[in-house]
Amino acid sequence: MRYDSITEAIGNTPLVRIDPAVHGLRTIDLYAKLEMLNPFGSVKDRAAWSMAGPLLAEAVEHGSQVVELSSGNTAKALAVIAGMHGLGFKSVTNRMRVPEIKDLLLLLGAEIEELPGQSECLDPTATDDPLTLFHRTLAASGSAYLHTDQYFNPRNTEAHLTGTGPEIVKDLDGRVPDWFVACVGTAGSSTGVARALREEDPSVRVVGLVAAKSDFIPGIRTIDEVQEVGLFDPETYDTMESVTADQAIEGMLTLNRRCGILGGPTGGAAYFGAVRHLRALDAESEERRTAVFIVCDRVESYLSYVRQRRPDLLGRPPRRNSPADLSEAEVGGAPSVTVAEARRWIETDRPLVVDLRSPYAYAALHIDGSVNIVDELFAELVRGGLPFSRRQPVLLACPVGEQSARYGALLTRMGHPDVRSLAGGIIAWRDAGAPLVRD
Amino acid sequence: MDGRPLYLEPRLEPRLRSLVAAHGTLHSIVDALGSPLHVVVPDQIAENLERFRSVYRSHHLSGQVFYAHKANRSSALLRRLAATDAGVDVASLGELQHALGAGFSAGRITATGPKNPEFLWLAARAGVTVSVDAVAELDQLAALVRKHTLAPVRVLLRLSGFESSGVKVLSRRSRFGTPVRELELLLEAVERHADAVDPAGVAFHLDTTSVTEKATALEGSLAALELCRSRGLRPRAVDIGGGFGIGYLAEREQWEAYTTALTAAVLGRRPPLTWGGHGYGLRNESGTLRGTLGLYPAYRSVAGAAYLDELLARPAASLGGRPLAALLLEHLYDLHTEPGRALLDQCGLTLARVLEVRTQEGGGELLVRLAAKADDIALEDHGVLMDPVVVPRGGAGPGDVPVAVHLFGSLCLETDLITRRTVFLPRRPEPGDLLAFANTAGYAMDFHATRAQHQPAAGKVAAWQDGDAWRWCLDDQFWPITPARGAQ
Repeated sequence: MRYDSITEAIGNTPLVRIDPAVHGLRTIDLYAKLEMLNPFGSVKDRAAWSMAGPLLAEAVEHGSQVVELSSGNTAKALAVIAGMHGLGFKSVTNRMRVPEIKDLLLLLGAEIEELPGQSECLDPTATDDPLTLFHRTLAASGSAYLHTDQYFNPRNTEAHLTGTGPEIVKDLDGRVPDWFVACVGTAGSSTGVARALREEDPSVRVVGLVAAKSDFIPGIRTIDEVQEVGLFDPETYDTMESVTADQAIEGMLTLNRRCGILGGPTGGAAYFGAVRHLRALDAESEERRTAVFIVCDRVESYLSYVRQRRPDLLGRPPRRNSPADLSEAEVGGAPSVTVAEARRWIETDRPLVVDLRSPYAYAALHIDGSVNIVDELFAELVRGGLPFSRRQPVLLACPVGEQSARYGALLTRMGHPDVRSLAGGIIAWRDAGAPLVRD
Repeated sequence: MDGRPLYLEPRLEPRLRSLVAAHGTLHSIVDALGSPLHVVVPDQIAENLERFRSVYRSHHLSGQVFYAHKANRSSALLRRLAATDAGVDVASLGELQHALGAGFSAGRITATGPKNPEFLWLAARAGVTVSVDAVAELDQLAALVRKHTLAPVRVLLRLSGFESSGVKVLSRRSRFGTPVRELELLLEAVERHADAVDPAGVAFHLDTTSVTEKATALEGSLAALELCRSRGLRPRAVDIGGGFGIGYLAEREQWEAYTTALTAAVLGRRPPLTWGGHGYGLRNESGTLRGTLGLYPAYRSVAGAAYLDELLARPAASLGGRPLAALLLEHLYDLHTEPGRALLDQCGLTLARVLEVRTQEGGGELLVRLAAKADDIALEDHGVLMDPVVVPRGGAGPGDVPVAVHLFGSLCLETDLITRRTVFLPRRPEPGDLLAFANTAGYAMDFHATRAQHQPAAGKVAAWQDGDAWRWCLDDQFWPITPARGAQ
């Protein structure tokens, strides 16, 4: 395959059969539409290109900035497309909750604005909500912005009506699947695909999946939030069901580990929701039937999401020389010195004074002559062994003497003969009126 | 779900739960003092303070918890707090006088908010810390100190308009504080008035439920303190204000079911849930939901001291990603907080007597009229949706069948609705019953109360537990040494 531009690589994604040994459905063939294999990594590439493409020439002429309310994949695709055409891109969001995506967007040159949170004291003078103000600003600015407006733009749906939907039918050798299962975000892909499939065969059943109300699954809205989406029409779906974050991650793990499909939690939610829905129908008849779900993006961007919810999945074996391995007795028995003793000791034996606080705090005020090795770095250092000569006495200092006691105990265990912790830390040092410098 | 009652049951901790259950006591107080009536529970505020203190301890942080007085004018709560080690944040001359009179020494008081010259003078005279809003206020304060030959006044520089790095966090505009980009000008004024003011640190207060916005501001405050230090000043503290919130409802599921039903009602997919189809900020634009739900997030899993804990654990991106608590500690700064609502969690309830229960022709909701005005029970004014608890007059009522009611106040005005929504109660109230609105001590008691139409504003009593019994006195008669309080 040879292309002149990366945007030509959007679409024509594979439809992959899930091994029945994994999903356990007897009579239903389950296929995943791998939208994660689009060039910018998600199903949103189609919508972004469909919405922005026709307007780019004019935007370039006016030097307009591309703007979208997006906290994820649409922003990513638009940032790339805007960048390719020398345009800026701004993402305005209610809360971008996945840090990797935020960083990736910044890397791609996007500007991100987070909308303010709700007022703690209800303000009767507040004129309007932030989103309405955002729309008003856009409307007032004329051509300064190219607003793709994914939640209301029919070209979002159209990308799937003319692309994703027909591709599914083509790959099923002209047959329409019996079920189509999709997570609902902007409702663009579910609506577009559903319409394309129904035009071929009105008997297709469409299952819309939303996030359980108290949960957060990236890219999916809750049953209330979908009501705010202009493209959302309840008539599109034969049924709406909800998926929890835990279930989405379960589904994701199955795709990742057993199917070799490195999809993210949204794809996981689609898989989980599809199997759950179909399992009940599997026994109904012996006829062979087909279902399709969408894997909308890749797992890599969601590691912190997984770490937060399922830290066990990222568990690693304990590391060597970790302060976490110390018993409370060892920490309690760490050699320590009072401020007065420390001052005398510094005078007489010149121990190396190690300040474990952050460089910012150290720069503001510290014990004269001390060196700053921030605790995280210190933890890395000692993993490899003692970072000081055994003949060099060491005084460790932290804010209140807690971390320094921990590291004092660790270094003692590692064989250092004369390491001491400053009791009460830098705070005790200050409170005793001992000098702190800023140099 | 259409036919089922949509309850929003209040979260009741043991002390308030016990008070709500003391039917005889509640009726006898209202018999004596009339309806409506506020009951505050001073011992609870001391317990809430301790929860904040324990968050401070877990992060090894020192500094003061200042109760934001404006949230409730009760003397009993203030005096009970004076008997602890808490501070108080006052926002008017009257509140300052009240705090001094309740036993707070000047070192435990911060004066904040818009200040008139008398407020400023008494603050300077007494030696309380003043949270300075702008250069002009600093000039005014310094002039007072010099003219009346007062001792230098400790000041906190109140800042606003914090900017974040990387991701721009839009924040609501505030009418208080000096924008951080004008900090240099403010510091020049501080240096000019070095004989009259002692800059103790910086302060901010953001009216938002967003932890991210507060974290941005705290990070900005650390940067501002560094600027102070680079100019040779010796700041010691950062005051992050309050706004840590209360979780009002007992169950998340009820809140979620209710708000979903409200959305459906606004979109016309189920019968209205409010008087006149009020949408609480939501509206239907050709089948799509627009607007924003103007309601307090009444079910909150993280509020109060836990919210502070979460804020302090946030990493500060521009300062190496270390948690904010660690940075405060390492920089040796005191942390000051000013919780109002959160310190008043579970600290009181409001009682109103049922005057009339009217059945509508053709069925529908019951119309219940209370001996109270909407401004006496200002939960709706703060967007807090929470069911009252029926405190029956006699024994068992006429059956325990759930009912839907509208709660009206006693003013001769169409707008005097105690709640704009349909309230579901597990049983029909009867005239003479009391409705107990729980957890009203924060802002919902006397913040809005008027004596319109010669109707009484709610009276207030303080109540405490004495063994299994509840005892009470007039709010103003309560002192931490009140003899009837027994061993305390």
